[in-house]
Amino acid sequence: MTAQSRISPTPPPAAPRSASGALTISSLSKSFTIDGKPLPVLDGIDLTLRPGEFVSIVGASGCGKSTLLRLIVGLDTDYSGEIRLDGQRIATTSLDRGIVFQDHRLFPWMTLEENVGLALLNTDIPKDRRAQIVADHIALVNLSGFEKAYPHQLSGGMAQRAAIARALVTEPKLLLLDEPLGALDALTRVHVQKELQRIWMAQRSTMLMVTHDVEEALYLGDRVIVMSPNPGRIRRIVEVDLPHPRDRSSPVLHRLRDEILTELTGAPDPANLVRFPGTEER
Amino acid sequence: MMARPIPAFIPALAPPLLLIGAWQAASATGLFPAQVLVPPSEVMRTLASLAVNGELSAHLGQSLFRLVFGFAIGATAGLAFGAALALSKWIEALFSPLFLAVRQVPVLAFVPVLVLLLGIEEGFKITIVAVAAFFPVALATFDGVRGVPKAWFEVARVYRTPLVPFVARILVPATVPPVLTGLRIALTRAWLVLVAAELLAADSGIGQMMEMGRQMFRIDVVLAGVIVSGLIGFALDRGAKWIERRATRWRTA
Repeated sequence: MTAQSRISPTPPPAAPRSASGALTISSLSKSFTIDGKPLPVLDGIDLTLRPGEFVSIVGASGCGKSTLLRLIVGLDTDYSGEIRLDGQRIATTSLDRGIVFQDHRLFPWMTLEENVGLALLNTDIPKDRRAQIVADHIALVNLSGFEKAYPHQLSGGMAQRAAIARALVTEPKLLLLDEPLGALDALTRVHVQKELQRIWMAQRSTMLMVTHDVEEALYLGDRVIVMSPNPGRIRRIVEVDLPHPRDRSSPVLHRLRDEILTELTGAPDPANLVRFPGTEER
Repeated sequence: MMARPIPAFIPALAPPLLLIGAWQAASATGLFPAQVLVPPSEVMRTLASLAVNGELSAHLGQSLFRLVFGFAIGATAGLAFGAALALSKWIEALFSPLFLAVRQVPVLAFVPVLVLLLGIEEGFKITIVAVAAFFPVALATFDGVRGVPKAWFEVARVYRTPLVPFVARILVPATVPPVLTGLRIALTRAWLVLVAAELLAADSGIGQMMEMGRQMFRIDVVLAGVIVSGLIGFALDRGAKWIERRATRWRTA
């Protein structure tokens, strides 16, 4: 999958970073121990992310995609194989790698700006500049005016955008998104997808998003990784050769969606078949 | 044509007033000797004279002093012990069975031993209050710290939050609601235990005032003490609840 012969549909990052967020995963495997027996969840994952690229991962529940993100962010370091960001082997968490969880995980006793500012506590950014950086990132996710709001005063979509602001405030080279829009209603979801695309185009961090939603994966991703479960393996990598911002109704996206859905429902596990209505008519 | 809304406390006054009315009526029937079933009017007169001659405030001052000191010691120890128990598997394995067993002993059961060890001086009363406050606070702190969602520890790890701000800005606020509830329960329990301990062994304090009243067959003094200790307990609970609500306003507001 490293043989990327085509020209990237996205322009290079506007502000080049010193080392700019190239993720390399090679022969990564991970298993949990359940009742004394090893249960493999990820098996032989090889994946390379170019700096500034947006990559989506789709797959049925239990294909280990969330586990993969936990390994990359460094919350779980018990694995075999290699994960490297700009050549550095990942051994723990780092401010170079941000993550947005499905639940926003904002602290309810902190205002929006305190929540975002919390991420800067362990940076060497001078204290007098932090407020401005926090304000800039709140503006980036279109939440200016809500700086003093507590999380319970924000809607689900706003809270998730606030979580994105918190994850981006340290300017990570790599942003991981673990089903960030999974808990939102359909309309809010479409809105935040657009926002996420705009934020990514403004920010140009490398982004890796896990999702259940094939359309979302295609709408946002330069590439879509299709995973199969038990144990989690990469089944296919789909290039989405369309410039951003994208038109949701593009026939290319629809054709790719149908291909991926067929791919996913073609899996030997019949339990997956019922999850994707609309494919059987084709 | 809107009727003015009735403040919530007005209906709540009816039962106590009815009770006092019934009490006054019962003592007026003469079924019981007047020294035994003292009419409420008499109790109020006694209460007023105790308040005027300074006896009440002296006893009350003594009791509240013991409450404040004992509670401060017991609550601090409870906070530290509860947090240590929750954060260290090792301390939990070592101390939690003992803690859970001793917790089941009524605090007043410690009175005889404590009196033998400490006499009936201030040390004894402050200790019994501290013991009474310790257990609910330790338990609430343990549950509170254990109840902090793993997700929040992960957020702190992702942002590599340094230890001091992690404790001050994440761990402490996350445990504040359950700990405050524990402190409130501990405060009212400490008051109950203190008054009871003063009844059993003391030379001053609101409980001792009641005990002296009993010995001199001044039931009016005993009942005045009952009213005062009830009002103090009520005020402590209400005050603590008010603080609890203000400190956790982010939960609703």
